[in-house]
Amino acid sequence: MKLPQVEYEAPTTVAEAVDLLAEHQDEASVLAGGQSLIPLLALRLARPAVLIDINGLGELSGISVTDGLVTIGAMTREYAAEESRTVADTVPLLAAALPLIGHEAIRSRGTIGGSLAHADPAAELPAVALALDAEFVVRSQSGDRVIPAKEWFEGYLTTLRRPDEILVEVRFPTAGPVTGAAFQEVARRHGDFAIVGLAVSLALTDGVISDARLAFSGIADVPVRAADAEDLLVGERPSPELFEEAARRATAGIDPPADLHGSSEYRKKVAATLVRRGLQAAADNAHERE
Amino acid sequence: MTQIAAERYTGASVKRSEDPRILTGGGRYVADVKLPGMLHAAFVRSPLAHARVLAVDVSAARALPGVVAVLTGAELEAMTVPGPDPLLALMGGGGPTPEYTLLATDKVRFAGDPVAIVVAESRYLAEDGCELVEVDYADLPPVVSAGLALDAGSPPVFANLGDNIVGPHKRSEFGDVAGTFAAADRVAEFHIDVHRHQNVPMEGRGCIVSHDADSGIVTVHAATQSVHITRMGVAMRLGIEQDKVRVLAGDIGGSFGLKIGVSREELAVAAASRAVGRPVKWVEDRSENLSASGHAREESFDVRAAVSKDGDLLGLDVKMVIDTGAYPVMGTMVPAIIEMMLPGPYKLAALGFESTAVTTNKASYVAYRGPWASETFVRERVLDLLAKDLGLDPLEIRLRNVAPRTDPPFTMITGRPLVGVTTKESLERVAHAVDIPAFRRRQAEERARGRYLGIGLATFIEGAPGPRSPEGPSGPMGLEFMRLRLAEDGVVTLFTGQMPHGQSHQTTLAQIAADEFGVPFEQVRVVVGDSDVVPFGLTGGSRSATMTGGVTLHGARQLKAKVLEFASHLMEASARDLEIVDGEVLVRGDPDSAMTVAEVARQAASGQFGSDVDPDLAVEASYDGGEGGWSGGSHCAIVEVDVETGMVKVERYVAAEDCGALINPAVVEGQIRGGIAQGIGAVLLERSAYDQDGNYQSATFMDYLLPTACDIPRIEIEHLETVPLDADVNFRGVGEGGMIVAPPTVVNAIEDALTPFGVRIYEQHLPPARILELIAASTPA
Amino acid sequence: MVDITVRVNGATHAGSVEPRMTLSDFLRDDLDLTGTHVGCEHGACGACTVIVDGRAVRSCLMLAVQAAGSEVTTIEGLAPEGTLGPLQQAMRDSHSFQCGFCTPGFVMQASAFLSAHPDAGEQEIREALSGNICRCTGYQSIIDGVLLAARRGREA
Repeated sequence: MKLPQVEYEAPTTVAEAVDLLAEHQDEASVLAGGQSLIPLLALRLARPAVLIDINGLGELSGISVTDGLVTIGAMTREYAAEESRTVADTVPLLAAALPLIGHEAIRSRGTIGGSLAHADPAAELPAVALALDAEFVVRSQSGDRVIPAKEWFEGYLTTLRRPDEILVEVRFPTAGPVTGAAFQEVARRHGDFAIVGLAVSLALTDGVISDARLAFSGIADVPVRAADAEDLLVGERPSPELFEEAARRATAGIDPPADLHGSSEYRKKVAATLVRRGLQAAADNAHERE
Repeated sequence: MTQIAAERYTGASVKRSEDPRILTGGGRYVADVKLPGMLHAAFVRSPLAHARVLAVDVSAARALPGVVAVLTGAELEAMTVPGPDPLLALMGGGGPTPEYTLLATDKVRFAGDPVAIVVAESRYLAEDGCELVEVDYADLPPVVSAGLALDAGSPPVFANLGDNIVGPHKRSEFGDVAGTFAAADRVAEFHIDVHRHQNVPMEGRGCIVSHDADSGIVTVHAATQSVHITRMGVAMRLGIEQDKVRVLAGDIGGSFGLKIGVSREELAVAAASRAVGRPVKWVEDRSENLSASGHAREESFDVRAAVSKDGDLLGLDVKMVIDTGAYPVMGTMVPAIIEMMLPGPYKLAALGFESTAVTTNKASYVAYRGPWASETFVRERVLDLLAKDLGLDPLEIRLRNVAPRTDPPFTMITGRPLVGVTTKESLERVAHAVDIPAFRRRQAEERARGRYLGIGLATFIEGAPGPRSPEGPSGPMGLEFMRLRLAEDGVVTLFTGQMPHGQSHQTTLAQIAADEFGVPFEQVRVVVGDSDVVPFGLTGGSRSATMTGGVTLHGARQLKAKVLEFASHLMEASARDLEIVDGEVLVRGDPDSAMTVAEVARQAASGQFGSDVDPDLAVEASYDGGEGGWSGGSHCAIVEVDVETGMVKVERYVAAEDCGALINPAVVEGQIRGGIAQGIGAVLLERSAYDQDGNYQSATFMDYLLPTACDIPRIEIEHLETVPLDADVNFRGVGEGGMIVAPPTVVNAIEDALTPFGVRIYEQHLPPARILELIAASTPA
Repeated sequence: MVDITVRVNGATHAGSVEPRMTLSDFLRDDLDLTGTHVGCEHGACGACTVIVDGRAVRSCLMLAVQAAGSEVTTIEGLAPEGTLGPLQQAMRDSHSFQCGFCTPGFVMQASAFLSAHPDAGEQEIREALSGNICRCTGYQSIIDGVLLAARRGREA
């Protein structure tokens, strides 16, 4: 399982990277953490002509908060985000999801931007980004574009990023004062990709749900917002009966794929269970933060 | 049991002599070996399960810079001697013999079947070369199941066979089968399936072969369970004498049965190396290991059980079908062992057994830790199912049916005496350790809260090496050899054909030799892995504790006698008055007379003695296993099933084991735990899956899932006081038992957890989705 | 080919590598440090774990070129030659391993984890090592080795 022949570029500035992408377009693959791309290369499933290694772009790392927006540079390592006090305080759903990504050694190299640009529908971060309506900032020779999460995920391993664009940062809204977040998943083993996963975030005002975000991983070729369930929840008080109905609504129209690890019916059943459990966990967390 | 003079090492968890190198990166596995001028091989493999090969165009591959040679199946046929698989040739098979070429020539028979070998300056370039080989295939309908293989309308996988039967149907009966079934209160019928899964050692297969043009010697650096069997296979295929082949093996990264014999790929590497005149290395990658190295356990059983209303298991009538994949190696030998072992440690009075072995377009059935394990799965599942039907407790039904320990020993209806078997004791011991009544109370409380816990029991025996056979030792596993020598530096050197791949022989055998001979543990060296230097042997079959432990014990005594005989001339004392203590020879009671064994050995080497003195301080020892014996035990698992997700957690696992005297308890327990982990993995995680076109679907570790540290609980082990059968050698093997009995233990526990749902389980692989299917399909009790 | 300079186990190495060469192959083939083992080549088994700039990483999921300018520690560099460090000694005392193929990856991952979490309990250790696969031991003896090292570290 040796990698195929490939050309290699290691730009030292974002501008240089952008120029390289303009030149090579879809003949190039951007190499960030490499934890998803290198296995694809080893299996010879990916055959780019050029690897553009952006690990030298220090300017793309970093976490900052301005005006209710948490900006995370695309090259921010997953372990750094996991250890970040800022992330824990301001984006609790992201903090809840990060420890579930693979194993520590994967998070040593994997990046926030890399995972979101790769857009594996079974991964945790795409569901988190979709749930929170994150914004993706991409740069090309024509300048910057901001793409909302609900447009970013186009299809299986496909995003709205054009071949001449590089993802430079992702912005998350700061969580409200009483927010409970949970990431629940059913995975065959600790650290595996989820068979089905659920990102849940609830904001409470005087014990009433004022905002509800639910996004699934693993039930389609992109992460999926459970909008019907969210509408049901807003304005209500948390209760098992409410969560039961939310689970019904969230899974009514879904038609998950089947594979070696689970049939479509199995994924649908598990999705409903995760909604019940996830909402309870989020509600419990919200009360703790109160 | 005879007391050894200084019983310091045997029975103690002596720290391993392997560990200093293993823990510091000093292990030397075949992938670590580099030879001057070495090239690297990769294989072009069929993407199709069943197809005719119309043409193979290697021109583009040959032209790639860095590619040194590309050899097709046809070219390899021209430069090798056709013959059967070496393991099959050694063990004997019987049955129709499929004819096929070393690499595929006229047709490919499974997805991953090697078609050509590319030899290049690096593995990277060899894989690049493989991509440039163009093969024209004409698809054939894939025979992907035993059902299809048994259908006379399916295309034959092997033209010379005419059909896909490689083990023709045969039936045996033991006892009065018809009468037993006619008279029984009840006859229950079950169909039980065991799924395909596989060895997956952390190190895959691999070898480096080089030829010395001057001497004609072929040297093979191998990852093998027997350097001699590898040597035999290479010599046969290359058409040269065995003494022209030298097989070397260093550290081996696990095997569990996979690396016995020689694979087609390794033989192709040997031929390629001769053709190019340079050493050629092949190290299989993980996708090759998962898809092409071989699989195991795909067996199905139709079982009829004759039982009394009180739970006496009177008779079993079993029909087995085994799917041996393409290029059958040893799968056809498995039914006979299963037949023999089915009665287990029980009083079964009648057994009918019939089997058919088929070939299919899937990877070959290879030996995997306890190849006959399905007999325990079937029997222990059936006992639980019968217990449920009759309203009996699983422990109760087993105790009721266990054969009593009698003198002469109770004999299985299939002929083997249950000498020294302690099943009743191990069942009682494990039950006591777990406190089943307390668990039942907890189970009821938790059920009321909507949590589903279950408990499962199972028991097994394995021939380790098996009781003494009245006909005496037979076959390549019947006698164990060892050369023992006192080297000039005073080190007692053991030359053994054992080929450890995790068994810690370099420690355990040294413990025994140190005790028997009288030197410190550090003054014993165990030499393995050189076919020029070690006697014939192989590691496998749970036999080394007895066979190699025994030959070490007796051989060390023989060596000691020889050394004392020689020393008697040096010390002018009678050999009877001499002893060896802590590495010194001395006249008993006279410490001033002491001479180190090194000094004795140096004297012997000095050549200054006449013909009446034998200065060759070495012995050739052999051992036939003595009384042999069984290992066995009873295991118990407590599981929790999440009935909303199907996830299963093994909360507690207890094993009561009888493997005779323990040479090194830490080593024994490591073997038991490792086997149990594989058994848990088989039930909850591992499946070698094919789709209906014969495409292999579990070719990465994302799909073939191995248990991790979060999946295997602490495993509590209790050792039983054994029944000594021999004055000296009561070590019995323990390599395979865990893997044999863990699957039914866990499945029994899962079924127990799901009792409120009315679930009955007739299969071994229970991933989360399957658990939910079983619940949905059952009617609550 | 790309020229790179990497510090491995305290020594500076200059090499010329194809961009596609993995760090694991570079260590094993170009630097003859064969203690790092290759178990799967897709980052799923942990056998190839080394420490790069203080963090445990899977060397099969890094390109050699990406290690340019970094500090790499492999199993050979964990303790002075011919000795066992405290973790290795604890693992020896606990009979942690059998065939040894998974061992260097476990030792490096456990070493990195214990440095950061010296007070970790059994469950945390199991989770931290759940990305390293062992086929021989059933893990208990490995966990015991790490627990022993942690206890000795606290008592020291």
